Amino acid sequence: MSPLQLALMIFGIMLLLMVVRMPIAGAMFLAGTTGFILQTGAQPFLNFLNNLAFARLANYDLSVIPMFILMGHFATQGGISKALFQFAAAVMGRFKGGLAMGAVLACGAFGAICGSSVATAATITGVALPEMKRHGYSGRLATGTLAAGGTLGILIPPSVPLVIYAILAEQNIAKLFAAAMMPGLIAMMGYMIAIAIYVRLVPGQAPDQEEREPLTLESLSGILPIACIFFIVFGGIYAGFFTPTEGAAVGAASTFLAALLKRELSWKKFLHCFHATALSSGMIFMIFMGADVMNAALARTQVPAQLAEMVVAMNFAPLLVVAGILLLYVVLGAVMDELSMLLLTIPIFFPIIMKLDFGMTPEYTAIWFGIMVLMTVGFGMLAPPVGLNVYVVNGMAKDVPLSESYKGVMPFLISDTIRTLLLLFFPGISLFLIKYLT
Amino acid sequence: MFSNFLAHIARLCSILGGLLMTGLMLMTCYSLISRNFFDTALIGDFELTGVGAGAAIALFMPLCQLKKENIIVDFFTSKCSSRVNEGLDRMGALLMAVIFALLSWRCGLAAINAKETLGASMLLGFPDWIVFTSMCIPFGITALIALMQALSSMDHLDEAAA
Repeated sequence: MSPLQLALMIFGIMLLLMVVRMPIAGAMFLAGTTGFILQTGAQPFLNFLNNLAFARLANYDLSVIPMFILMGHFATQGGISKALFQFAAAVMGRFKGGLAMGAVLACGAFGAICGSSVATAATITGVALPEMKRHGYSGRLATGTLAAGGTLGILIPPSVPLVIYAILAEQNIAKLFAAAMMPGLIAMMGYMIAIAIYVRLVPGQAPDQEEREPLTLESLSGILPIACIFFIVFGGIYAGFFTPTEGAAVGAASTFLAALLKRELSWKKFLHCFHATALSSGMIFMIFMGADVMNAALARTQVPAQLAEMVVAMNFAPLLVVAGILLLYVVLGAVMDELSMLLLTIPIFFPIIMKLDFGMTPEYTAIWFGIMVLMTVGFGMLAPPVGLNVYVVNGMAKDVPLSESYKGVMPFLISDTIRTLLLLFFPGISLFLIKYLT
Repeated sequence: MFSNFLAHIARLCSILGGLLMTGLMLMTCYSLISRNFFDTALIGDFELTGVGAGAAIALFMPLCQLKKENIIVDFFTSKCSSRVNEGLDRMGALLMAVIFALLSWRCGLAAINAKETLGASMLLGFPDWIVFTSMCIPFGITALIALMQALSSMDHLDEAAA
């Protein structure tokens, strides 16, 4: 069998297993196993397995992931979200569709201490959805807003997908976080603008007159714990007091403290944080191991390296290559979950990107590409047929059909597309903060 | 009965893993405070964080498998009957059992190997065999859970573990 046939066979097995409902992590693992053994025989593969779990799980750099996840769940269970949403609603209340904008603002603020889009969507939905319904917002706009707002959890640092990219591409996590800051804020603004336009174009989605909670000193306290934690974590990282992993530990500890001070964290909720952290971390690291096996098998065929050389030799315009990759991500994201997609494709695409000349230093190219990838991950969390965020929010809104929720995310997908193009053509938007912060 | 027992073990594992993460969190804070304010560094704290997180993540796997948290693509089979889907899910669980059994076996072997060769971390000399063992056991439990899911319906246990 030629290397190319072998590589295609490995992909074929993975897709076949995925189609018959095998967990994606397991599908990658088994496809990789088959490809590996066909090339080297069984013993080298078994030796490779000896160290697989040790290398991936007992890894200081990767321990930032479960730590940020734990922090996010402390925040979710700690009763921070309710006061936060009240504050955000009071700030945005003066505008038409203000409550929806408030939900976006709350998602963005919560995203500053939570690195997962699903957790952000679920947390803010829990407090914002009943309020939006009570005020007469349509199920379509309410669920669409909250699903889109949830992606701010990963667009605004900390961000689990960005950490994973940083590790795959061997880039500095702190610099990537700095580069994500502006795009994250632009995303938040873009979503608010999308709401403002949508409620004016499509009547009956939001109430014309809203009773408005005044912005008081008390409501201001809603944002206080989050602002403090964000300042401590990122201030500490950029001032050089601690590494991102240490920052995550400090963040988790201070979020825990904030929850304790709110007297919200019962023993039961505390254990729930552990369970929830176990579920998301276990899922992510299983994908890591599956992708490791698959990538090891693919790398042995030499096809990814040849593919990189071939693309470079074709002399396409560099921006065209990036655009092509991003489009491919949008298509792949329709059938795969975004993390598996990153873990599987970054080892193949990243060397290609690094061989192209974008007129930037290699480090800036790597960081900018990471931000572009992050944008498509956010897009994939919303886009049909499988937008994970839409599922989660829709699942919490019992009386809204899924198709309505998908209609609801459309304005936000348009906003996503515009932002992605903006960042594609103007890398400086995401890169300029790095110079100041690091 | 046995599957009920496994569900409780899975919960217990996740709590142990969570406590471990909390412990690492506190240790890191302590280390930071002593480093930045008292000029006394806790040597090798990052090594402990690495191996501790490794054990914690391995301890998270049983619950993850029990709750079927590993993402599947249900897009292609959404039109099939629930019996077909259930059959496919059992097949998937069986394959996951094979994967975790493999991982457990190899981690076990690596643990024995590391004990014989006295493998240890650089700064603290933390023995590698403990790390391998801390993964071997939870992986084994995960394999058993996946096997039970393949052989019998464990759905009613999801509520018990909720």
